[in-house]
Amino acid sequence: MDYVSPFDDRVRETHVLAPRPAALDGRRVALLDITKARGDEFLDRVEELLRKRGARTFRIAKETFSRPASTEVIEEIAIHGDLTVEGLAD
Amino acid sequence: MGSTALTVSPLTGGADELRARVRGRRVLLVFAHADCPTSALALRQLGAVEAAEPEILVVAEESPEDAARLALRARLRAPVLAQSPPYTASVELGVEAVPTAVLLDRGGIERERLVGWDRDGYERLLGVRLAGEGPDRKPGCGSRAVEPPAAGGLDEPEDMFERGFTDGLPVVPPTPERVDAMLAGRDPDDSLGTVPPAHGEATLRRVAACAVLAGCRPEYFPVVTAAVGAVLEPGFNAHGIGVTTQPAGVVAIVNGPARERLGLNSGMGALGPGSRANLTIGRALRLVLTLTGGAQPGRLDRSTLGSPLKIGLCLAEAEERSPWEPLHVERALAEGQSAVTVLAADAPLSVSDHRSRTPEELADVIAQAAAATWSPYWWPMDDETLIVVCPEHADTFAGHGWSKERVRTAIFEAACRPAGELRRGETTELVRAAADDVPVHKWTDPGRILLMVAGGDAGRYSAVFGPCDGMGTAAITREISWTT
Repeated sequence: MDYVSPFDDRVRETHVLAPRPAALDGRRVALLDITKARGDEFLDRVEELLRKRGARTFRIAKETFSRPASTEVIEEIAIHGDLTVEGLAD
Repeated sequence: MGSTALTVSPLTGGADELRARVRGRRVLLVFAHADCPTSALALRQLGAVEAAEPEILVVAEESPEDAARLALRARLRAPVLAQSPPYTASVELGVEAVPTAVLLDRGGIERERLVGWDRDGYERLLGVRLAGEGPDRKPGCGSRAVEPPAAGGLDEPEDMFERGFTDGLPVVPPTPERVDAMLAGRDPDDSLGTVPPAHGEATLRRVAACAVLAGCRPEYFPVVTAAVGAVLEPGFNAHGIGVTTQPAGVVAIVNGPARERLGLNSGMGALGPGSRANLTIGRALRLVLTLTGGAQPGRLDRSTLGSPLKIGLCLAEAEERSPWEPLHVERALAEGQSAVTVLAADAPLSVSDHRSRTPEELADVIAQAAAATWSPYWWPMDDETLIVVCPEHADTFAGHGWSKERVRTAIFEAACRPAGELRRGETTELVRAAADDVPVHKWTDPGRILLMVAGGDAGRYSAVFGPCDGMGTAAITREISWTT
């Protein structure tokens, strides 16, 4: 029996994850704050630990946690970062 | 339970191909199809068999997809061959009923045959004991080789669940005929946009499928499409609402002539249940968000508790009973226009008040109920709250000459506390930074309060729908267009 599907069954383009680096030394790590409460405290601590391991870090923030990151934010991370740590929920 | 993977392969040829596949083995071929309860009984029994000699091979008179569903339902471990029309193997082996079991020896010669369900016969042929469920004997059904498949089939409701075409409740199967009736000549490839979070394209075909699934009548479809168009406007933030850990429901409020035209209930029991139009329009909108948009609970929808409101809710305003201008007129549409307003909301909180005789007192009661929403110490909220005022409460306000605006302002002013009383638990940056005696309102401004009238004439129960606060979502109003 044929039915009309409510799903969008088109095959999506898939993306392969970037290779995981063996070490953090000298790597540029983007610390993405989605602007949820206390996400900055979490990222402060992560930043401290990453720097101890020789990583270079930079901070970047989404305008609001409730919407996807803007193209500008994604490009900024792609251009300047090798890795990203995102402070997700509160 | 065994972990053997389900194997379904197509059988394109007839009896010779079947014999070639099993040559050198003793095999019990079991012919079955999905519209036959006796086949289902037999396959469930065989599903419990760990291993057998002769081997079991199920020949389903089904497409590979439907054969796989049949096998999954029976928890079958035996391999399955899917036989398509004209069912040549069934014809050549003279299978006129299902289930039919045909025992082939190593040379491919038929040694024995069972027609219908016969527990003793299967136990004898397989040399195993079968679990005790159901009758020992049951006549079968016509093979598809002699009886063409019935439209829909006996397991249609289950089939819908297996396909995932559901919100957890039974649905109306979206047959092409029903979807065409829903579309009523509209172009099925027209798109209302992409639905977050998975960015499924909301073609009218898919939206109509959701409306059929929800149980809508075709005349409701213009409301469904207007509501889908509204939630896809950027200001609504369907992405955030779709994936949040909040219990975010979506309320659709209908104003104007559409209410009478479609039989939407705005009177007694206006928040449901009982009215097909209200329930199915709300449900159709939610199905577009979950099925087409991918906001499936427990997957991309990360709501911690969920909410009964997430099944969907469509409200209609009791404009004729209201002393005030209707919601859509406040929102810049004309009285004679039909409109739908969508709003992301928490489940309704009932406000009982049979004692207030002054509008000031009543506004305060409603305000204190609203003050507890989202989180009791989270002041101010910057997303919108919907307050459904019941007719008797509306009379109390209007009897004292209060306009809608005055009611709104009075509720806003009554929900105000000094910052020093609000520094507990989840509170805002504004409260944390303010001096103790600084007054803080529950909302950033009175415009965050939406007021409408609905409900039965007797009883003083209004309702507050708290917001999905912090989501940056706004109520969106769209005209309902009846042209196709």
